[in-house]
Amino acid sequence: MILNSRRAFLKTSFLTTAVIVMSAGKLFGAVYPLDTMVIAAEDLFAHAKKLEVDVRAYLLIILHHTRVTEEEKTSIRNGAQWLNEEAVAQYKKTYTQLSADKRQEILKIVSKEKWGENWIYALLSYVMEATFSDKVYGVNKNENGQKWLEFAAGMPRPKEPLL
Amino acid sequence: MMYDVCIIGSGAGGSPIAYELSNAGFNVVVLEKGKNYKEEDFSKDELGVSRRNMFTPLLKEEQHVINQREEDGSITRYVGSEAEWSFWNGSMVGGSSNLMSGYFHRMKPNDFKLKSVYGEIEGANVVDWPISYEELEPYYEKVERVVGVSGNITKHKFSEPRSTPNFPHAKLEENGVTKWFDSACANLGFESIPTPRAILPHATLNRNACSYSNFCGSYGCATGAKGSARAALLQKCKAEIITEAFVYKLESDESKITTVHYYDKNMQSHEVRAKIFVVAAQAIESARLLLNSKNIYFPHGIANNSKEVGRNLIFSGGGSGQGRFKFENLTKNQQIELMQAGVFFNRSLQDWYDYEESGKKYKGGTIDFLFEHANIVSRASREFYNDEGDIIWGDALRKKIHKTLTTSRVLSFEVFNDWLPSDECFVSVDAEVEDKFHMPVGAINLWGHPQDVKIGEYLAKKATQVLKEMGAEEISYSISSAPPPNLVAGGCRFGDNPKTSVLDKNCKAHELQNLYVTDASFMPTGGSVPYTWTIYANSFRVADKIIEELKKG
Repeated sequence: MILNSRRAFLKTSFLTTAVIVMSAGKLFGAVYPLDTMVIAAEDLFAHAKKLEVDVRAYLLIILHHTRVTEEEKTSIRNGAQWLNEEAVAQYKKTYTQLSADKRQEILKIVSKEKWGENWIYALLSYVMEATFSDKVYGVNKNENGQKWLEFAAGMPRPKEPLL
Repeated sequence: MMYDVCIIGSGAGGSPIAYELSNAGFNVVVLEKGKNYKEEDFSKDELGVSRRNMFTPLLKEEQHVINQREEDGSITRYVGSEAEWSFWNGSMVGGSSNLMSGYFHRMKPNDFKLKSVYGEIEGANVVDWPISYEELEPYYEKVERVVGVSGNITKHKFSEPRSTPNFPHAKLEENGVTKWFDSACANLGFESIPTPRAILPHATLNRNACSYSNFCGSYGCATGAKGSARAALLQKCKAEIITEAFVYKLESDESKITTVHYYDKNMQSHEVRAKIFVVAAQAIESARLLLNSKNIYFPHGIANNSKEVGRNLIFSGGGSGQGRFKFENLTKNQQIELMQAGVFFNRSLQDWYDYEESGKKYKGGTIDFLFEHANIVSRASREFYNDEGDIIWGDALRKKIHKTLTTSRVLSFEVFNDWLPSDECFVSVDAEVEDKFHMPVGAINLWGHPQDVKIGEYLAKKATQVLKEMGAEEISYSISSAPPPNLVAGGCRFGDNPKTSVLDKNCKAHELQNLYVTDASFMPTGGSVPYTWTIYANSFRVADKIIEELKKG
């Protein structure tokens, strides 16, 4: 049921396609990149959840954004796939199936690889964008990110989001 | 319809022409590639403005090719969209002047005669300007009044001569840390200068006062206080502005431009005819337009039988640096002063505008000091790495972001020194890559003269002395030959000799009777200051010349 509604919502998205996870040259399984990204984002900066920032919704904004290049979107998707492949190589489970401690181990491992460092940096950047976004974007409705850092956003505020 | 004047580009180079000519009763049309944004359209949306670059073209649609000359002489080719290397600044009515910080310095008399005063430099095409500071001074003063420059004149070693005693507008409100800066400079024997800004501190000129929003550079001004070409000039004249009009070709006979061709947003082609044409599309794009406009009279591009178009492209030499002030080293009152938001840190140093080292006289430059930009996403993102250079996340990142951003603040500086013109730095058109209009894109051939870095280093070290004296920590700087895309000039230098320059002293093409270029392209050398004030002043000067021409009939 959940899968079905998500598929309806993401009908035109490249995220509707599950990515294949390989292990030692053999098919291991399939994962949805967005699921991996949301869990990894929380593993990287759990404070966003405490601030009631809707990171999942913001990642959807980014992955459909007219001014985010296809190369960036593909890079994020590839990173999610490779993260899962590393998880399978280490623990014979996809990243999303691992315990929190083991997911941190996987993040530490991939952070030593150039692609992994870049992927973590990109994901953290999007989490920061969500955390400090104007409430017009709908993912930081109470502006708790700004309150956390005692930051006064510039005025005037945007009347509508740039999507 | 035949216009008196057709202007291509609505930024600081084109708008003074539109303002002066239309107010003098001439029929003026401005063709602008971007959209029109007014005060009410501007917000401080960091995601839209700074993260998604909403005011510049998508690189997959419009880009440049960059051919970078390496130290060994080899060329590395970068396609802008693949390397994510953008040279766009602001595609909109008023151009990038909407997004400038408005640090306004005049060039100094010696900047107009670099070759005579400082001599030849091997590997650099240094020349004197065909006009003097004295000829441009009345127009610098005009910009102060018409565009609006605020500040307070303090005499110093390199003060340039002025025809008025002070700026027409009082200086903006300042952060308390400027007192620390002034004190540190006094201790070091340096002369602290209040930085003039193209920002109105009070409502005047039919514009609102600065709101001290804490978001100035990179953002459009929602009050109209910033002296953008749109707010200060275009909104105050009757020139017709056609937006989303990309000019792709100039058509000419052997002596005159006859027609401009542009695409609208639906890729429909249109023509405009006028008596006089003014190109002001910013230095790289102006040269590209001329080079892309070939015909039987000008087989190498309009005004380019001399093959000078595109040559001697310059940026600003220098770089930037910073130091951090931490709460643990400050009193409670100092902490409060440090965190004052909105008010400006307007201080500059020009003590070394020229200097001697090892018995040789060098042209130096300007150092502007400013607080780190308020963009919160950018500042948080700078905390992603620990001192060992490893990326961090989780609780360690949360604590680092919170501590850094709530108990410290960075004071930055920017160094401006000459980017020496050379044969190796120029604009051409690329043979392979086209933009969405199917026109060959501009190729930026990059090289920085080694002296630029040497001078920049000298100035940066002086700046760090001030930061150290003020008690800053984590002091660092970066000086390089990396070109700042918002500080670009040259490519159609003016001069008296048609064989070595594109434009005459009035910025009219030597080879055509009715073509002017009035953005920063005309500058054969750049001075050691940001360019905008000089672009404005020169454009007002050329406007007077064009009015004279039109009155002659």
